[in-house]
Amino acid sequence: MRKRFGVSVGVVAVVVLLMGFTGIAPAAEKPIVIGAPLATAFLYGWDAERGIKLAVEEINAAGGVKVGGKNHPFSVEVIDTRDLEPGVPVSDALLGLEKLILDKKADFIVGGPVRSEAALAAMDLLHKYKKVSILTTGALTPAYHAKVAENYDKYKYCFRITSHVIVMANEFVTLLSDIKKGHGFNKVYIMVQDVAHARGGGEAMKKMLSASGWEVVDMKIFPTGTTDYSLALNDVAKKQADIIFLWMDMPESAILLKQWSGMKLRALPMGFVNAAEQPGFWKATEGKGEYLIVNLVNGGNAPAKITPWTMKFAAAYEKRWGLEPEGYGTSSSYMAVYTLKEAIEKAGTTDADAVIKALEDVNIMGVYGRISFDKKTHQIIPSDDPKLGAVTGIIQWQKGKRVQVFPPKVAEAKILLPPWMK
Amino acid sequence: MDILVYGIINSITLSLLSLGFTLVYSISRLPNFAHGALYITTGYFVWLFLNSLGLNYPLSILVGIALTSFIGAMIYRLILIRIRGMEISEIIATYAIGLAIVEGLRWGGLRGSTFTLPSFASGSREILGVNVDDQRLLVVVVGFAVFAILYLFVHLTRNGLALRGIAQDERAAMMLGIDSDRMAIVAFAIGSSLAGLSATLILPLGNIVVEAGYSVLVFSVAVSVIGGLGSWPGAIIASFLIGFAQILTEKFLSTHFQMVIALLAIIITLLIKPSGILGRQKELEERV
Repeated sequence: MRKRFGVSVGVVAVVVLLMGFTGIAPAAEKPIVIGAPLATAFLYGWDAERGIKLAVEEINAAGGVKVGGKNHPFSVEVIDTRDLEPGVPVSDALLGLEKLILDKKADFIVGGPVRSEAALAAMDLLHKYKKVSILTTGALTPAYHAKVAENYDKYKYCFRITSHVIVMANEFVTLLSDIKKGHGFNKVYIMVQDVAHARGGGEAMKKMLSASGWEVVDMKIFPTGTTDYSLALNDVAKKQADIIFLWMDMPESAILLKQWSGMKLRALPMGFVNAAEQPGFWKATEGKGEYLIVNLVNGGNAPAKITPWTMKFAAAYEKRWGLEPEGYGTSSSYMAVYTLKEAIEKAGTTDADAVIKALEDVNIMGVYGRISFDKKTHQIIPSDDPKLGAVTGIIQWQKGKRVQVFPPKVAEAKILLPPWMK
Repeated sequence: MDILVYGIINSITLSLLSLGFTLVYSISRLPNFAHGALYITTGYFVWLFLNSLGLNYPLSILVGIALTSFIGAMIYRLILIRIRGMEISEIIATYAIGLAIVEGLRWGGLRGSTFTLPSFASGSREILGVNVDDQRLLVVVVGFAVFAILYLFVHLTRNGLALRGIAQDERAAMMLGIDSDRMAIVAFAIGSSLAGLSATLILPLGNIVVEAGYSVLVFSVAVSVIGGLGSWPGAIIASFLIGFAQILTEKFLSTHFQMVIALLAIIITLLIKPSGILGRQKELEERV
């Protein structure tokens, strides 16, 4: 009898240990499968994957998702959409998404497709398979939520928990107005990448800056993969621009910053620059990217004191992945999983229509402020105050660190100019 | 003036990128579609030696280029030697090798924008009133030096003369005792080291991204086709044509037509003079 008891205790101990190692919740009900279509070879893909996995591990360790009195763990299926590669292979991204739904039996989609062109094309697939999706990274085109508003019944499955071009352009214009007041600048040179969101962002900035008293001296569009910006930067010097406004998500944009620093151009670079988001940017550019101002789209993509959860998230991310939150897509992908959990638990089911309704009503204080969606567009509600909505993370590279400089309510330092501009 | 200055820089850069591809084809009549992959591989090797093994920068470069050169030689010795003469198979094999290398690097973790090589020179200076960064000037200086060394090598050394002999008439050269396969191995080794050398000069301007493997290949093919397949002087002339066309496009049209210009130039060359600018041998064959 004693021997049998000993064996039973041993078996239970082994099972408990195994559950601990695999991160499966004690109540191992059927997992809720999150399908994550992401361009995993690029920052916006791999950081989103890490954000999603971190949230899933935390949620599973805390007992999983409560549905109808039972605890279901989340499981994640990631597929490489490759849609950030030059040429924007939309068809590959759509095949990847369909594979997640049909082969991997994804219950929900979180993450991408990452490129705007692919994300827009994917909306019809989400409708076809009635899969609720929370877009967390990449796609910044306002057309995404505009499509939801135009045809709600068809595209009601599509939510976006991250910002978009128009909101970002407004943030930039506000920030530039502050810089204009402080330094007397008035000429902007715009350089953007030849992809939908960047062209859209550039055009929006051109109109908005012109309307707010800035002189836009030129706007250049560069193909994905451009490796030399010399001619354009010389043009910046000739036209005596004070600000170089950038909108690029290609890794090669680091070359532009290196050239800018080498030439010591009297123009402050700022914008949406993928290559400058990561913690490794400083080392990669040998510090030549100092003073660059970058929009990380959502707060929490670099350590900052926005809400109590922000630094907690940053610490957890660093502990799990060995480096600080990396850039656009990190905090939003992490929050999307928590938001989905909240909605499923409120709906009490994984049924798409019920979860849609619950997501429309969601209201939680997250990593980058209050998370709630506009009911007509399913777009996250932005704000410059974390108590009211989702705030951005505009940082400046200062002495090797990404320092939050906007919005003023959560700014941790003032904007600095390079010594050759003083 | 900026058109002249940046036109020259861009042209020399293109020449450096494509010289290895042209050299290999001129000697062995093998189109090395793994050229771009070898370019990016060298960058990764140098990065690895520098950051993971802790070697100093010059030694990392030397070992990186030597290793790429060895890989190039082995591509011929182990694979291409078996299918030599079967043109379609040669193209498929080299392209597949290139694809495997590039995608292998991506799979192995070469992704993102944090893989970079230090610049040799970090400042900038005015040339004819145009601001140019020193690293680009270094590319131009080394570019001219490489052309000169290569010229002297093929005109004054025994191996160089043998390479020219093979390039001009393989059968006649073989009758004179020159080993065609050995020369092809030498050509692959030199061509690959040229890809490596250009990588160590050009990659410090930006970052090591696998996609560069594809764009380097596209530019190399464009330069070779337009210059005349296998013609070194033709390749240099074509580099200047494309280089200046790209700068003029950027200046007067729009930057995002630069790649279009290179591809359009290939189509126009194939329509007007399929043998390329200095592709004389082929032209004779076409007439016959």
